[in-house]
Amino acid sequence: MELVFLLICGGVAVIASLLVIFARSTLHSALWMVLSFFMIAVVYVLLHAQFLAMLQVIVYAGAIMMFIVYAIMMLNLRHDSKVKTASKISKVIGIGALIVLFLELMLVSLGQNLTAIQGPVTDKLVATYGRMAVISNFLFSDYLLPFEVVSILLTAGVVGAVVLAKRER
Amino acid sequence: MIENQSIYLALSVALFIIGAAGAICRRNAIVVFMCIEIMLAGVSIAFVTFSTANHSLDGIFMVIFVMAVAAAEAAVGLAIFLLMYRKQGSIDLDKFNLLKW
Repeated sequence: MELVFLLICGGVAVIASLLVIFARSTLHSALWMVLSFFMIAVVYVLLHAQFLAMLQVIVYAGAIMMFIVYAIMMLNLRHDSKVKTASKISKVIGIGALIVLFLELMLVSLGQNLTAIQGPVTDKLVATYGRMAVISNFLFSDYLLPFEVVSILLTAGVVGAVVLAKRER
Repeated sequence: MIENQSIYLALSVALFIIGAAGAICRRNAIVVFMCIEIMLAGVSIAFVTFSTANHSLDGIFMVIFVMAVAAAEAAVGLAIFLLMYRKQGSIDLDKFNLLKW
């Protein structure tokens, strides 16, 4: 059952991602992107990361895609919507290198058992406290410093965006 | 080890490569930006897979921080696209060679 869900959602995510590249209109690309993000959220649920699935839907499929669609509509990109390509030789080299990388990574990921030593989050801990409580416990103790740094980064990002987009007078 | 681990990893590799190919082939700045988001999503799936397989939370925190950085990146990046559009009338990356020597 899990395998069926994984294959369907993973397949739809891959196809939607391909359509992001091949869609003529930028707005269509953005909408395929939303579908891809929803399917990735389902994959997170299958991996028992429900909190991340929620974040994926709210932050990615909600906030970031809203930003992008807003920018597309504001910039009125209708006139250069056709697919443009870079110079032939650089494109061929780039795609060739990507195909080699793809085969190598597939070989590694399909080949062996890649798990290492077991971490502290045992099934018993999750069953006692719940996954969310365990995550927040770690987030506000071991990961407190990165958490604060990221909040400063977000504030700086928002201020930077406002300063950049402001018209000079 | 979890069930179907190699399928999750294969999905993550496929998404990463699709995103990289799109970033190489497309010239529209917003589509390139979305392709980079696809690459980030692919890497995130690999992180969560290993995190779940190893009974650890490190990968999940990494993905949370990636999401926060991607949100900041979206805000700043789209402001930059707006500036590009005001300056040149398009966001075609071939035309944007301000930093080229």
